[in-house]
Amino acid sequence: MKIFYSFMAVGIICLIASIIYDTTKLTPGHITSLFVVIGAFLGIFGVYDILIEHIGSGMSLPITSFGNSLVNAAYEGFHENGFYGLFGNMYATTSAGISGAIIIGFVVTLFCKPKD
Amino acid sequence: MASFKFKNIYLSSSSTISSQNEKINTKFTIEDYFDGEKTTEDAEAKMQKTVIKDMLKNGPVDFIVSGELSNQIGISNHVMSDFRISHMGIYSACATYTEGLIVSASILGSSTLKNALTVVSSHNLNAERTFRFPIEYGAPRRVTQNFTATGAVASLITKNPTNVKLEGCTIGKVIDYGIKDANNMGAIMAPSAADTLLEHLKDYRRDASYYDVILTGDLGRLGSELFKELLSRHDITLKNYIDAGSELIVDKTLTNQGASGPICLPLYLIEKILQNPKNKHILIIGTGSLQNATLVNQKNTLPSVSHAVSLEVL
Repeated sequence: MKIFYSFMAVGIICLIASIIYDTTKLTPGHITSLFVVIGAFLGIFGVYDILIEHIGSGMSLPITSFGNSLVNAAYEGFHENGFYGLFGNMYATTSAGISGAIIIGFVVTLFCKPKD
Repeated sequence: MASFKFKNIYLSSSSTISSQNEKINTKFTIEDYFDGEKTTEDAEAKMQKTVIKDMLKNGPVDFIVSGELSNQIGISNHVMSDFRISHMGIYSACATYTEGLIVSASILGSSTLKNALTVVSSHNLNAERTFRFPIEYGAPRRVTQNFTATGAVASLITKNPTNVKLEGCTIGKVIDYGIKDANNMGAIMAPSAADTLLEHLKDYRRDASYYDVILTGDLGRLGSELFKELLSRHDITLKNYIDAGSELIVDKTLTNQGASGPICLPLYLIEKILQNPKNKHILIIGTGSLQNATLVNQKNTLPSVSHAVSLEVL
């Protein structure tokens, strides 16, 4: 059942993104940022964690979960190190993804040339 | 608005090349967007060289007028450095072909020069990069967005009589209806196309039914509807109207609107309209959306221009 919920959740999020793209002038970049902000906003009130608990990977896979991770990590950092931790810890849980993208990007450009 | 007639200027043979997406039979075709070259720009340059070399087989030309969609018409200039022939680069976005015909015919008409080549080309990925997003970004296409056609055309304009006569032209005004959406080129170009057609009919004291075919460049399906609506406000209903872009790409998975680019009009004119002997009086209206990526990002409105040329098949 959880798999079905996951499938539906991702589908609905993508559907919302598609509707926004078709009916407004926003570019894909705008919509991605918008979804990160929405995820962060839901994360502040703990709503997002409840959704992940019930739906599973369907909520942790879309970009909205990135916003949630940022907020959660910053919150934990604030508890441990105070105001400094708010900034120092913000990228703690998402650092694997960000560093991965940068390092893999670097390695790929060593061997392949972009054609632009 | 400036309308004038040409004296004994003819459209001779043409050479065409296109990709697989365009539903039209051309003399040459390319297999993919790179066509064995390193970059898509080189591929577009190669297409231009192919058609120019094909036309030069028939004998030398006095000068070449060419243009396309890349920044500072770089590809045309790059190509022309390979040929030691006098060259003028022009840019009116998708109205470049009709502008080229007007420039070539006017120069021939007022000089002792005998013949000229008008060359235009466009490439889907190059236009995408010039006007929209980097290609790798892979932005999905919007409902109102056209799909730039890939191909090149070289037309020989000459004083030696052939069966297609360039009769006259109308140079269009730049029209701006205040549209800021660069992905809705049909709506940007429709007002200028309607304005040019109305002026043309007024200047030549003709009725729209005088023409067997009125061919616009790349208004797309939405743009064509808007064009007809604007004309209906002046009590003109077109029965003989074709939009080249809408006919050129019919694959709905590529675009809802049809093809765009300076190449649409000449490809459809040469390979379809002129092949049909029933078409005697033809009016071609090149419609150009004059967008500039910097000005679009600064939220400016988008102007457009349309140039019309009337052809007579003898």
